[in-house]
Amino acid sequence: MIYDALIAPFVEFEFMRRALAAAVALSLGGAPIGVFLMLRRMSLVGDAMAHAILPGAAIGFLLSGLNLFAMTVGGLIAGFTVAILAGVVARTTDLKEDASLATFYLASLALGVTIVSIKGTNIDLLHVLFGNILAMDDPTLLVVAFNATVTLVMLAVIYRPLVIESVDPLFLRTVSRAGAPAHLAFLALVVVNLVNGFQALGTLLAVGLMILPAGIARFWSRDITGMICIAVVSAIASGYLGLVLSFQTRVPSGPAIILVATVLYVGSVLFGNVRGVIRQLFPGRHLEA
Amino acid sequence: MCTKRHFLLWLICLAQPIFVAPVQAQQPLKVVASFSILGDFVKNIGGVRVEVTTLVGPDGDVHVYAPAPADARKVADAKLLVINGLGLEGWLPRLLQASGGKAPTVTATEGIAPLKLGSDADPHAWQSVANAKKYVANIRDGLIAADPADAEVFRNNATAYLEKLDALDGEVRAAIKQIPAGRRKVISTHDAFGYFASAYGIRFIAPLGVSTESEASARDIAGIIAQIRGEKIPAVFLEKMIDPRLMQRISAETGAKVGGTLYSDSLTDEKGDAPTYIDMVRHNIRALTSALAN
Amino acid sequence: MAAQLQFRDVTLGYDRHPAVHHLNGEVAPGALLAIVGPNGAGKSTLFRGIVGILKPLAGAILTGGLDIRDIAYLPQTVDIDRSFPISVFDFVGTGLWRQVGFFGGIGKAAREKVARALASVGLSGFENRAIGTLSGGQMQRMLFARVLLQDARLIVLDEPFNAVDAKTSADLLTLIKRWHGEKRTVLAALHDMDLVRASFPETLLLARGEVAWGATGEVLTVENLMEARRMCEAFDDSAAACAVDDAASKAA
Repeated sequence: MIYDALIAPFVEFEFMRRALAAAVALSLGGAPIGVFLMLRRMSLVGDAMAHAILPGAAIGFLLSGLNLFAMTVGGLIAGFTVAILAGVVARTTDLKEDASLATFYLASLALGVTIVSIKGTNIDLLHVLFGNILAMDDPTLLVVAFNATVTLVMLAVIYRPLVIESVDPLFLRTVSRAGAPAHLAFLALVVVNLVNGFQALGTLLAVGLMILPAGIARFWSRDITGMICIAVVSAIASGYLGLVLSFQTRVPSGPAIILVATVLYVGSVLFGNVRGVIRQLFPGRHLEA
Repeated sequence: MCTKRHFLLWLICLAQPIFVAPVQAQQPLKVVASFSILGDFVKNIGGVRVEVTTLVGPDGDVHVYAPAPADARKVADAKLLVINGLGLEGWLPRLLQASGGKAPTVTATEGIAPLKLGSDADPHAWQSVANAKKYVANIRDGLIAADPADAEVFRNNATAYLEKLDALDGEVRAAIKQIPAGRRKVISTHDAFGYFASAYGIRFIAPLGVSTESEASARDIAGIIAQIRGEKIPAVFLEKMIDPRLMQRISAETGAKVGGTLYSDSLTDEKGDAPTYIDMVRHNIRALTSALAN
Repeated sequence: MAAQLQFRDVTLGYDRHPAVHHLNGEVAPGALLAIVGPNGAGKSTLFRGIVGILKPLAGAILTGGLDIRDIAYLPQTVDIDRSFPISVFDFVGTGLWRQVGFFGGIGKAAREKVARALASVGLSGFENRAIGTLSGGQMQRMLFARVLLQDARLIVLDEPFNAVDAKTSADLLTLIKRWHGEKRTVLAALHDMDLVRASFPETLLLARGEVAWGATGEVLTVENLMEARRMCEAFDDSAAACAVDDAASKAA
């Protein structure tokens, strides 16, 4: 019975196996990024980026029609431009990261809408660009897996400066010149993960599997390394259980995965070890010293 | 003398309308059609006596169209508005209100008993050539009512076009006879071929809902795959506007043939496969037979 | 002996208003220098210029060939994200950046250094605490421990004894004296005159520009202090461009 519910779908159908592989790859790459995004107060970057890539995708569409590769490359370029400009402005002026990103992504979105309307067609470009986890063909799977690998490697390289920059940016500025490159590399990773995530899996999944696991992890660990591990595990669990849910009921796959993640999140908010609601209401007897 | 000059003057004044009237009557009737297929019908019936503007052009998506200010102007200037009805143009009432246009509206599906799609009416009535003939009749009558002076032209054009549609219907039925009865079923992403299925006996099984918006669940996909495997459905067809990767995935897992594109909601531009309605139906039936016949 | 720090007619400020105006002078290597002055005198601004965060509006600050890795800076207001999930041990450990860089492992030797640094500031037992749970004074001590680990040639402390109790002040002062003994150059901005007189041999009395600079006993006189107090705290919005600069360029 349990076998039927939990294992059989993946044995019987190849698209389910591929979807699971994609979910795991996305979790490995996206969840750690999500933890850093959350800690740096950039959790809404995902949604902003989904709009910011429009002019790039539009130009790709203008040049090559409904060619996914061209549109993705265009989206990447637009995403990088917005992210890096926002990062540079935030570092060199008084404008903070969130305001800086907001201004650039809005400008980018307006530009994108204008470009699309010049062409005259009203195809919802972003709808075409955004994929579906149930439709994992070989190239897309490769891209997602490659993404995850590159992300993990890069994160390992910039881990230390990224952590220091997040907790004490002034200190990093005074001891090293690695702060700015690390920051920009991080932004680049965010863009790559998001754009490739959108193209493969749609916005909801790409952003959701970054941010929700980070939120979950916050309630179970006081240490950033622990948080990253918990985020990855809960992302994979959400992916797996979400696919099972979508298989047993009629809930679409993307929302199903995010709903499972949400349930985990609510559970963490209530019962989490670190400042969970129940912990705060019933702290238990205080200690001797 | 005075009176003679006055008389001549009066004669000329009275005669003016006689010169002017034919000039005015020469101006073609401004018609706005809601989308490309209707536009094609109107062009064929109206000929040079109409000036047709289409709101949702070739390759556009009439389900989710977002009108631009220019469209309000087009509607305001129109003398006749041709729409599909049956809930296809959800964005239209607001546009009409915004434009303040007072032109009469022809609902092309008037008199057609609609099929059901879920709980709503299926608006894609033009997919059956018999229904298309009703469209033509309704549009012809509407044109005549708006421009009675050209009634003869419209009637003649319509009759000629109806004959073409009859021939087309015959073509479709002949082509379908070539497909073995056990193979008359396909998977298509767009649930827009209900009328075609009912008129010509090919079963269309769709993985997604009517519009371009809804998303599939794993259960749906598994169901389709199981169904294809179980009923040995020979072919899957792509729809221009939806993620073709989903279709490829299903095809790869079932061995069903991916059969090219079927056009349902919109014509293509001149360079495309389906610049007119008749071309569209021909293209579709050719694609179907080539995928299913062997 | 080459100077550790040279101020060459340096002017530092914000929005073209000078907070430090035409400062000249030298700091010898191994000096223990207190920088004293009223609020707004430019002490923090000067430090920012020394560590390279603020570019001078005019003139230059030369650091005698020191790399940025050779300077340790303890700022006055700390822009630390206290909610970040990092332990005291790991936080202090970042002070080993210079030795460890991007990838170096924190081996046994390094761990012991961190533990010793924490002990020097009296924070043994705090290793696994999250930094957000520390009090103000404990935070300050933790930052001192990090400066310890940085092993820098030039140490710049901006009001290091803010928010610490008397016992901690004494402990931290001992650390500063130890650094002085190790021939490091130490600059500290301070408000407590008694502490300066007791422990710092050299003082710069700053009130935008130099009021007096030299041995502490000669600098902290009543006359000098009164002159420093006469400095006006607010920037003058209607000030004209600085005439001294014009004269210099005319001379050149």
